[in-house]
Amino acid sequence: MTSAYAKPTSTEPASPDAASPVPTSPAPSSDGPGTAWAIAGTGLVTSVGADTGEVFEALCAARTGLGELRAFDTTRLRTRHAFEIGDRPGPDTPLLATEWLCRAVAEAARDAGLTEDLSDVPVLVGTGLRELRSVELAWLGRASFDLVDLHFGRALRERFGACDTHTFAGACSASLYTLALAADLLTADRADTVVVAAADTITASMYGLLDRVQTATPRAVRPFDRDRQGQLLGDGAAALVLRRNGPGHAVLRSVGLHCDARHVTAPDVEGIVTTLRQAHERAGIGPDDVNLVCAQGTGTLVNDAAEAEALARVFAPCGDDGGPLVTAVEAMTGHTSGCSGLLGTVIAVESLRTGRVPPTVGLRDPIGPASVLRFTTEGPLVAPELTTAQVNAFGFGGLNAAAIVGKAA
Amino acid sequence: MASEKWTGTPPGTPPGTPPGTPPGTATAMVTGTGVVLPGAKDAADLLAPEPLEAVGRVGPERLPSGRGARKKDRATLLALAAAALALTDAGLLDDEGLCVPGDTVGTVVSSNLGNLDTVCRVVESLSRDGTAGVSALDLPNASSNVIASSVAIRFGLRGANFTLCNGATSGLDAVGWAALAVETGRVTRVLVIGVEPANAVVERLAGGDAPVRLLDGSGAVVLESSASVRARGRGARATVARYTRRRDLTTAVGVATDGGARVGLWLPPQGETRAERAPAGLGEFGDVCDLGRTLPSASGALGVLQCAAATAWLADPGRRHNAAPTALAAAGGGATDDAAAAVLLTTA
Repeated sequence: MTSAYAKPTSTEPASPDAASPVPTSPAPSSDGPGTAWAIAGTGLVTSVGADTGEVFEALCAARTGLGELRAFDTTRLRTRHAFEIGDRPGPDTPLLATEWLCRAVAEAARDAGLTEDLSDVPVLVGTGLRELRSVELAWLGRASFDLVDLHFGRALRERFGACDTHTFAGACSASLYTLALAADLLTADRADTVVVAAADTITASMYGLLDRVQTATPRAVRPFDRDRQGQLLGDGAAALVLRRNGPGHAVLRSVGLHCDARHVTAPDVEGIVTTLRQAHERAGIGPDDVNLVCAQGTGTLVNDAAEAEALARVFAPCGDDGGPLVTAVEAMTGHTSGCSGLLGTVIAVESLRTGRVPPTVGLRDPIGPASVLRFTTEGPLVAPELTTAQVNAFGFGGLNAAAIVGKAA
Repeated sequence: MASEKWTGTPPGTPPGTPPGTPPGTATAMVTGTGVVLPGAKDAADLLAPEPLEAVGRVGPERLPSGRGARKKDRATLLALAAAALALTDAGLLDDEGLCVPGDTVGTVVSSNLGNLDTVCRVVESLSRDGTAGVSALDLPNASSNVIASSVAIRFGLRGANFTLCNGATSGLDAVGWAALAVETGRVTRVLVIGVEPANAVVERLAGGDAPVRLLDGSGAVVLESSASVRARGRGARATVARYTRRRDLTTAVGVATDGGARVGLWLPPQGETRAERAPAGLGEFGDVCDLGRTLPSASGALGVLQCAAATAWLADPGRRHNAAPTALAAAGGGATDDAAAAVLLTTA
């Protein structure tokens, strides 16, 4: 086949266990029906935990990372709350997103049985806000910062020897976009192993602008609830290792990508519906096959309404009580911007692997279109029969993405 | 890299792929270019050996104006201008709008410094005046994807839409990812834009006390699947044959040329690695387009401008004379860069 992107190397690390591969389809078509790439390792750093296990246990226990913001002064802002990663060395330190990213990548690599030498492995990073917090600190004269580190390449090279590294800035769906492109690399046979990662730290500019735009001053996040007040930002990093051959904790079956091309910030129900259906079609499944949705559920007025309506429409053929379970975790993690899609993906992987689903904390009285959805409001829910999960992430500019994750064979 | 697996189109491969070729076997071809720089009106102008008058800023007459333009940051305006030129050049845009379904066109933007002015202005206002000091209109501009979203909205491009902020190699990386999106069939066409704005914020952040010359401008190329080129009955100008990102320039060039393909046009990185120090393994090349000599530091715009220039060279047999029908663009590889990237283009 033809392909312009040169494969990183022909000396990829061997599969740790080639004897029991997960079902894969090496056919060089797009991630169509039957394709399933192994998710061989995961890593997470969020306000509720420092690795995948800690985060997932905390979410199942309904623990929240909510607190008063410490990274910068909020006395002249209306909003005061956020979900910050706890071991922040103090206020105003540059390169925190980079540090968390490296921790998540290291965990995912270790979990997948890779060494920390990633010199032959593409590393794709999705982010909403890059190292813009470091830029802010430099501009305010509070730290020195080299613009070379605005993207994550130099740190990934120093820490992991990685050279085929790519920082994608794509609003709040950035990391699912990155996941899609990683799948495309496998599809085009240009890599056998890809690290997909995401990192975001709260910037004062984004926090302040949301404070300006949101009518209310939320002190908590209430996804899909009638009393939701808006979103609160959170710090986060996530990573996973995607491989051609197993074993894996779960498999990636498809990622659908679409752009509304309607508005720079507002969501569009039609665009979201198109994206979800594209993800199903690419995975060769119908709405009936999905039994878990990791919704984005930011707790904003318009986004939750649009997401709920789109979910209700896409899963309407499943009938009353026939649709998938829906969970949304941002009441516990906050909105981790470009990281949120990959965080949702790792949660889906853990739910499929363990049969447990985190509760949708903060949801008491669902908004109209959400009333037909089956939320996990009590939790953690034990659902060992789960086979197929859908992960949603929607970003500014109508950058919509949805991933389909399947249980490992 | 002794046993490098290379799966690309060998130079000289006949253009296009047979009808009925399944997804994943398409070739990405360049069907349009657009350049918005002081001193350059189109891609061919980039081939001039003398420095362009690219100091200073693009004039307002070349940028979109009117109500829709008012809330846009400078990088977005520069990108919109290059987008219109490239889409029109590719025959995808006319007075009535986009000529193909919007779902078939993706958007890939490369910019490192694009929204730094907004971010810094907002954080300064916040620290001085709190929430009351900032405007809601800045919200979209605080997110680094604003350029690509705004372009998609303006022209109705509904395919995959993403932004590379990947340092010195970012523009070539954008071309590489756009080619992949075409090759895997994710989209039929991709508008690739490289853009950087010059303003006081980025000049101070990039240079500290020392004045730096930064590019103010944009470039765009349209990549399209060979099947679509054939179906639309338009000629393509060039083919994206290879893309790679490696630890250093020598390795990247070696992989992109498959260890010795002849290069007709060499487009070296800007910065420390100059044309006269062509990396080992490049071999003889026919012609040079050294944007490091003719343009200020172009950062994320560089790779796209290089590919636009390479396309103009490849599409003009009069320029090529007897040189090999290949152009190799490279970026990064300097002391502070994390890697080097290279794109090999061939004639269509």
